[in-house]
Amino acid sequence: MSLRCSNDLLRFTRRNDGVLIALATLACVFAVLNMNLQQTFSYYDVSNTFSSTATLALAAMGATIVVLIRGLDLSVGAVISLSNCLAAANMSDSSVSMIGWSLAGVLVGTATGLFNAVFIVLFRLPSIIVTLATMFIVEGLTLLILEQPGGAVPPAFSNFFIGDAIPGLVQAPAVVILLALLVWALLRNTRLGTHIYAVGSDPDAARSKGVPVSLTRMSVYVIAGTFYGAAGVFLTAQTGSGDPTVGPPMLLPVFVAVVLGGTSFAGGRGGCAGTVLGAFTVMLIVNLLLVFNVPTFYATIVEGGLLIVAVLANSVPRIREAVATAWIVVLKRRAGLPHFARRAAASSTLMRNDETLPANPVGRWLRRNRSALRFTVPTYLGLAVLLLVTAAMFHGRLSLEVYVNTLLVLGSFLAVLGLGQGIVVISGGLDLSVPAMITFSGVLLCEWNAPGSSSITLLVGVALLGALIGSISGIGVGILGIHPLIMTLAMNGIIDGATLVMTDGTPRGVPPGIVSWFMTGKILGLTPVAYGLMLFVICASLLLGRTVYARRLYLVGSSPLVARFSGVSVGRVQIAAYGLSGLCSAVVGVMLAGFSGQAFIDMGTPYLLPSIAVIVIGGVAMSGGRGTYLGVFGGALLLTALTTVLQGMLLPVAVRNVIFGLVILGAVIGLRENQA
Amino acid sequence: MRTLLNAWRAVLCGVASLAMGFIATPASAQDSKHYKVFLSMSYVGNDWQAEAQNMVTAMAKAHSDKVDLRIQVAGPVAQKQIQQINAMVQAGANAIIVYPISPTALNPAIKNACDKGVVVFAYDSSVTEPCAYNVVTDQTELATKSAQWVADKMDHKGNLIFITGVPGTSVDTDRNKAARAVFAKYPDIKIVAEPNGMWSQAVARKAISEAMATMSWDDIKGAWGAAACIQIWTLQMEANSKTLIPCGTEGSNGMRVMMLPKGSIADATGAYSPQGAPGISLESHPGAGAMALKLAMDVLEGKKVDKLTMMPLEAVTADNAKLCQTGSFDELSKGCNVFDPGLVPSGWFANILNPATPEVGFQAALVGQPETN
Repeated sequence: MSLRCSNDLLRFTRRNDGVLIALATLACVFAVLNMNLQQTFSYYDVSNTFSSTATLALAAMGATIVVLIRGLDLSVGAVISLSNCLAAANMSDSSVSMIGWSLAGVLVGTATGLFNAVFIVLFRLPSIIVTLATMFIVEGLTLLILEQPGGAVPPAFSNFFIGDAIPGLVQAPAVVILLALLVWALLRNTRLGTHIYAVGSDPDAARSKGVPVSLTRMSVYVIAGTFYGAAGVFLTAQTGSGDPTVGPPMLLPVFVAVVLGGTSFAGGRGGCAGTVLGAFTVMLIVNLLLVFNVPTFYATIVEGGLLIVAVLANSVPRIREAVATAWIVVLKRRAGLPHFARRAAASSTLMRNDETLPANPVGRWLRRNRSALRFTVPTYLGLAVLLLVTAAMFHGRLSLEVYVNTLLVLGSFLAVLGLGQGIVVISGGLDLSVPAMITFSGVLLCEWNAPGSSSITLLVGVALLGALIGSISGIGVGILGIHPLIMTLAMNGIIDGATLVMTDGTPRGVPPGIVSWFMTGKILGLTPVAYGLMLFVICASLLLGRTVYARRLYLVGSSPLVARFSGVSVGRVQIAAYGLSGLCSAVVGVMLAGFSGQAFIDMGTPYLLPSIAVIVIGGVAMSGGRGTYLGVFGGALLLTALTTVLQGMLLPVAVRNVIFGLVILGAVIGLRENQA
Repeated sequence: MRTLLNAWRAVLCGVASLAMGFIATPASAQDSKHYKVFLSMSYVGNDWQAEAQNMVTAMAKAHSDKVDLRIQVAGPVAQKQIQQINAMVQAGANAIIVYPISPTALNPAIKNACDKGVVVFAYDSSVTEPCAYNVVTDQTELATKSAQWVADKMDHKGNLIFITGVPGTSVDTDRNKAARAVFAKYPDIKIVAEPNGMWSQAVARKAISEAMATMSWDDIKGAWGAAACIQIWTLQMEANSKTLIPCGTEGSNGMRVMMLPKGSIADATGAYSPQGAPGISLESHPGAGAMALKLAMDVLEGKKVDKLTMMPLEAVTADNAKLCQTGSFDELSKGCNVFDPGLVPSGWFANILNPATPEVGFQAALVGQPETN
């Protein structure tokens, strides 16, 4: 009997290890915090913490459900603002209005979720690009509703959500969070709840067991959108007003809360209870930084470090495995066994001719590259359409030479970034440390550029440092098994902080003359970087098309398990992938510094989302294992041509955002997956 | 699993406290004579914020006998800044100075702080909560003045590039509205492009390049918008334009150096050198935070302070641009307003003079050292 109990307990802890670790992390943060506080948390402080966490918690719960089915929803922040502004701009002092506009706020989230669902599920598009497009569209619509912060909601409305539910004992925000958790608990125990976990664990198995996979996935996005809408309405009550800029920055904290809550991005494991705990941890870190008086420039470093430490808990088995592997290598060496043997096997080429291919060379080539073509051609078709539109719109005032040059110069940043981000995504990951890496390298280049120093040494040094820092992310992902999203996000914070500490917030110096010339000079009417770009495209295509490394990379991305059994060192391939991405970001940092004539601390920030957008538009599968560099290059040109034509138009930024999102959606409809 | 989890928890706590211990020691008991003042910045990732932080630090150092200042950064997330303000109240703040990420979203947190007897100042961007003090730059006046100057220099005709800032913010909306009103008075001035520069030189350069991909510099007669002029003139120079166009606004040293007559600084080369460019330099004052700290001390000492304080708005054009030698407060007061390219980077904000804060000079803005006299 006692044995049985402990077995149940064991099963319970195993099943809920995500939540338990989230709880342990939160308890830890709270304990460290309380040990160092002069005045411990009073009812008042607890109440405040609940109300500032509730928005994040609600939104992160929605994001969790999407992550459970292996999706990724980037529209969460934008929807919060839309719901917030819609409610704040319209609500008046009558109870009908209050209830009506609250419902409208929630329903606008539901509607956005439905929009996402239609394109992701019915059109079979990758969730990350659909929700990215939705994000732009929703941000634009929000600005059309409320051009700047404003609007006011009746105090009664705020008090209802922020005040006491039972005076002195239970706060309304706590009730809101508990209600949301109750909804989740009910949902989890319905048939739909079971289906969500089934689809997340293995969609094919779920389908063959009769689970309505498409319907489940659609429901998930709709439910998630509803949660975001609710978060927006709560935000309205909490802040008493609307602000179109408040929502979008919540995107990253939302994902941090999901990960701290122990939900796996591989799908099928985790849940909303952990997420709520994770949201509290995110908020209490703010208090922690204050209590320990962490200097401003170190804030992101400490946050990044804490993030890695907190998720390392999930990596204990991986760390053990890594240690064991290293130990085996040592033992093999001692015993004198050659450990390169399997490597040679993995590199050996296929000798037999494939007889199923057509005999004529053109047909053979087409058949061989059918899938690559199918995902590349639409990109270039889109680009062609866009160029025609540009030519028609600006006919008469357009100089072909200037236009092409601008397209190539501005496209070069995205083309280089696209290679790095593309390699990481093909390996099955994602690199969020791109912005900090760009800034860091650009700033270093200028800081270290003393008169008389060798430009070549400097450039090589900066590039190598980029590769080195990138491979640290790779070690975290490949060896320690930390989720790429968290590892690179933490690295982004650490690199950001390092840049600030190094420069005291004021980066000095100018880039070497040769870099400036490369980015702004002229050879035969074109900027030198335009010629460099052509060379780069050839090299990058060869790298991804013809090398042994690329073959391993695609294999790792398609199936790490198969890769391992084929004798490929998954860890090494991933470390190299992140190293290459770091290198590419560093190169872009150097190019940007040369382009702007100076390095700025915020210069990398605008490049994160475009770096992801270009590769998806270019036909790289977010699930890993598929993509060509030519496609990515087409994506880079398409995105640059699109922003160029939008900047040339006399439209409000809001409308431009909407158009941008719609065009992205249109461009990727050609890239439908699984249309067998 | 349980033991593993417990062990993990112990390790986690250990590492966390160790990491913290390296960086700073926990808050010690406060000296009773000192006011405990907290500064809540929303983000630190640009030149303006770094300078603002330096100037506040210098102000606190100049009054180290009566104020103990702690600076924290919340990041761009409003919820985190709300949590931070609440935590500052909990930590026993006498005053809280805020660079608000939103003019409205922080209101309830600020109201809470006021109710607990904490003095709250917002700087640069205002907050609408009535109990807070605001120290701000008049964005409407800034935009009107600079747009009028550009319009006059264009002889009230020709094509104009209108560069916008961060959409959805009050400052951007106010500025654009005021500037549009000025340009609308002259039917011959035509806005031909509205690149979105996001108040960042790097973004502005890209946006202007994109807009100019479909236009020729020969057709452009003027430009207006924040953080845009250096890049406008540099792009023109790269395109071999004959004359640089009139441009406003921007407070960077690079812009002011370019406005000086050609050859007036011997060893300056490249774009960051005197070009005799026609411009008007005006920008939000980076010393607003330092001013707020000074006023907060006044309030704490029982003096009467207005709820709204306007920062000085000094327009610098080619007519009054003057190179500084040391940048001391005295020299600044006598009218110098540009710094040698060898001293500060091009993007560094040069509009640092505020007659009300003699503690703050060039060294304060650069490294956080107050004036010594």
